[in-house]
Amino acid sequence: MTAEADKPNIITASLDFLVNWGRTNSLWPFPYGTACCAIEFMSTEVGRYDLSRIGSEYVRFTPRQSDVLLVAGTITYKQAPILKRIYEQMAEPRWVIAMGACACSGGFYDCYCTVPGIDHIIPVDVYIGGCPSRPEAFFDAMFDLQKKIKDESYMKQRAERVKDQLEMIKAKTAEAKAAAKDFAREKVVDIKDFMTSKEQELVKKAQFWKE
Amino acid sequence: MNTVEDIFSVLEEKFGAKRDTQDKWGVAAIVSAAYLHNAALFLKESAAIKFEMLVDIAGIDYLTYPNHEGPRFAVSYAFKSMSVPGARIRLKVLVGEADLKVPTISDLFANANWYEREVFDQFGIVFTGHPDLRRLLNHVEFVGHPLRKDYPAQKRQWLSTNDYLLPALEKRLEDLGYRVVQRSKEVGTNDNEYLEGSIKE
Repeated sequence: MTAEADKPNIITASLDFLVNWGRTNSLWPFPYGTACCAIEFMSTEVGRYDLSRIGSEYVRFTPRQSDVLLVAGTITYKQAPILKRIYEQMAEPRWVIAMGACACSGGFYDCYCTVPGIDHIIPVDVYIGGCPSRPEAFFDAMFDLQKKIKDESYMKQRAERVKDQLEMIKAKTAEAKAAAKDFAREKVVDIKDFMTSKEQELVKKAQFWKE
Repeated sequence: MNTVEDIFSVLEEKFGAKRDTQDKWGVAAIVSAAYLHNAALFLKESAAIKFEMLVDIAGIDYLTYPNHEGPRFAVSYAFKSMSVPGARIRLKVLVGEADLKVPTISDLFANANWYEREVFDQFGIVFTGHPDLRRLLNHVEFVGHPLRKDYPAQKRQWLSTNDYLLPALEKRLEDLGYRVVQRSKEVGTNDNEYLEGSIKE
């Protein structure tokens, strides 16, 4: 066994492919269920439809451990800051599914208390229609999300993310270089002055001894 | 033989109640705000049929009601008897726009506490003597009372931060004799901390 493991085991793949493969097949949802869509999600999750077939094994009830925020139900204005805060607590990468008519557009609650679509608060990746949505529709949305994730480029996103930092580092480096140049120039001038003064002294001494 | 009709006659005698002629089922009586508390106490404790259960409190706005005369608002109390099943009575208090005050009955019926908060929230009717008259359904930054007929139904109001209920809770517990020994870091009462991550417009 040890001999087998000692042999070099190498797979070559592009980083984007590998990262996306991992992300695609382990989407852990965070159910933000406020209405009947949440009941429909429960039936999607368990036995008959079995969401764990596509790797959404765990439903995490903390935003810090989940990848997909699943907003299932009506969002009122009183709840909007809470939803926003939950979204901000999630670690990158994060995706949002708006499930059902209420989360997409406010549904038939065209009134003073309901947010007309959660995209007023947070960015949404996939919308599902229906009132409530069928489990099949939910699966369709998950497949759409998986397709979307497969298209993402981790390295590009990383470059985007560190762009500011990179620019800052470049600017700092240029600054430091300029400072060093100035310092060197001053030094050179000092040394030149020193040399000329020495020369003059020597000349004076030579003249003195001549005399 | 005591019937609901007898109780109505007592209400009319003692509390100056009038039968509501508009009521479809004939179980409503209009009382003045001054007599409401006593009438509720009478229904709960000393009536021939005791009405121990407060089913609902509803606010009514008659602004766009056809052929309505009289004060703009009304508060309707629905009582149900536990001892005689099926016996029901509704008391109605008419409230004018100038003086939006009704005495509370939350000392008689504990569930009236939240019903009255709801009516206050949606109609702006003030219940005098209520222990904790705050908004119940709408958020703290809401301006106006949405179930009034002159509130535009589609007028939306954003909430900038979620309600921070911990100080109120602590105060309530301290009033009951508890005391705060220790707070965990996550629930620090620093205002700036919980304002972060909220909707700011």
